[in-house]
This record gives sequence, C-alpha cells and structure tokens, in this order.
Amino acid sequence: MDILFISRFFVVIALIIMMLASLRVSAYKYASTGLFGCSVAVLAFAIALIFIGDMYNIKFSFDIALSLIFFGFVGTIAFAMTMGEEN
Amino acid sequence: MYIIQYIQSFLLIISAIFIIIAAIGIISLNKDMKNVVYARIHIIGIFDMSVVLALIGLGEYLLAGIYFILVPFTAHAIAYAYYKSEDTLNNKSLEDKIKEEEDITENPFIFSKEDIQKAEKEDLVVDTSDGALSLSTLKISEDE
Repeated sequence: MDILFISRFFVVIALIIMMLASLRVSAYKYASTGLFGCSVAVLAFAIALIFIGDMYNIKFSFDIALSLIFFGFVGTIAFAMTMGEEN
Repeated sequence: MYIIQYIQSFLLIISAIFIIIAAIGIISLNKDMKNVVYARIHIIGIFDMSVVLALIGLGEYLLAGIYFILVPFTAHAIAYAYYKSEDTLNNKSLEDKIKEEEDITENPFIFSKEDIQKAEKEDLVVDTSDGALSLSTLKISEDE
C-alpha cells in the first residue's frame, strides 16, 4: 500500500466521522439545524463515494456522487426558500 | 513523480484533519449559547473548504470548482431561513409576529396548564338546598 492510498482512506474515515456528527446535529431543536445536518451528511456521503470509487476503481460511484451533490444542493435551497419566505 | 504523490497525500491528510476538527467542533458547541446556529454554519464552512482541498488533492479540479461555487449558497440559504423563521433573538419583527399569531389563534377549547391547575385547586361549591341538583343513572340490560 502506498501513502496515497492510506491518505485517501484517512479522508474517508474523516468523512464518515463528519457524517455521524452532522446526523447528531440534525436532531437538535431548530428546523434549520436539521436542514443543514442533512445537507452536510449528504455532501459528506457523496465525497466519500468519490474517494471510494477512485480507490477501488468503481466508475458509477462518481455519477451517483455528482447527482447527490446537485440534487442535495437543489433540495436544500428549496427547503430554505420555503422556510424563509414571508407570509 | 513521487513528489506529486507526496503533495497529494499531504493535502489529503491536512483536509482529513480539518474535517475531524470540524466534526468535533460542531458537536461540542454549547446548545444554550447565543447564535449557535450561525456558529455551526460557520464550522460547516471550514468543512466545505477542506473538502475542496481534498478534491484538489484527488485530482478532481472541476468538481472542486463546482463545489466551491455551490456550497456557500447553501450555507447562506440556511442562515437566511433561520433568520426569517426561527431567530427570535436577532429578528425582532418575528417576535412581534409570533405574539400576534398567538393573540389571533385563541382557541376557546384550549386552556393553559396553569389555568387547569388553578381550577383544580379551587373548591367547587354546589348549592343543593333547593333540590335542583339531582343525579340519575340509566340501566340498560342486554335483553333490551
């Protein structure tokens, strides 16, 4: 195993830790904390998918990660606009 | 060739350390602190930039650029939504609006807990001197 593989593995572990932390944060009392917790969890999962696909040569994981990043972004913006709009 | 690999792995390890620090920070913030949601969004900004660093280290420059442009919009949208809908500390108009809604939606069938406890403590005085109060029971048998 070369050092590049080990460092990628290290990043994946860090991203998993971040996913767990953001899921914990999403259970706090405000709705907006739930929103950004879910958003960060999805983003961390997508980036971890990119790294795993690059490590083990899984080509379709890159497409899944791209779709997660884009649709997660759109969903977060839409939810935030709905929450923030004035009645 | 080895130098590039070392630089890449250095970037990845630095970004992983930053991600772990951000994860610890986002959990360990005090819940009762003022403006804690904005502080958490700030920490998420650290996470996002370290992910950009990691993607550059991986060699995905286009994706890093897209991520660099998209993610600040998300953070700003969440902060805006929190300010407009839930932040009663900074948004004074929201506090007035909540008070108005409470005044408008006064339901005659809903009582506060204090009122019910107060009513339970009071002794109910029933005047039975004129025989106006009577109790009756109705028996229904299965045959009927």
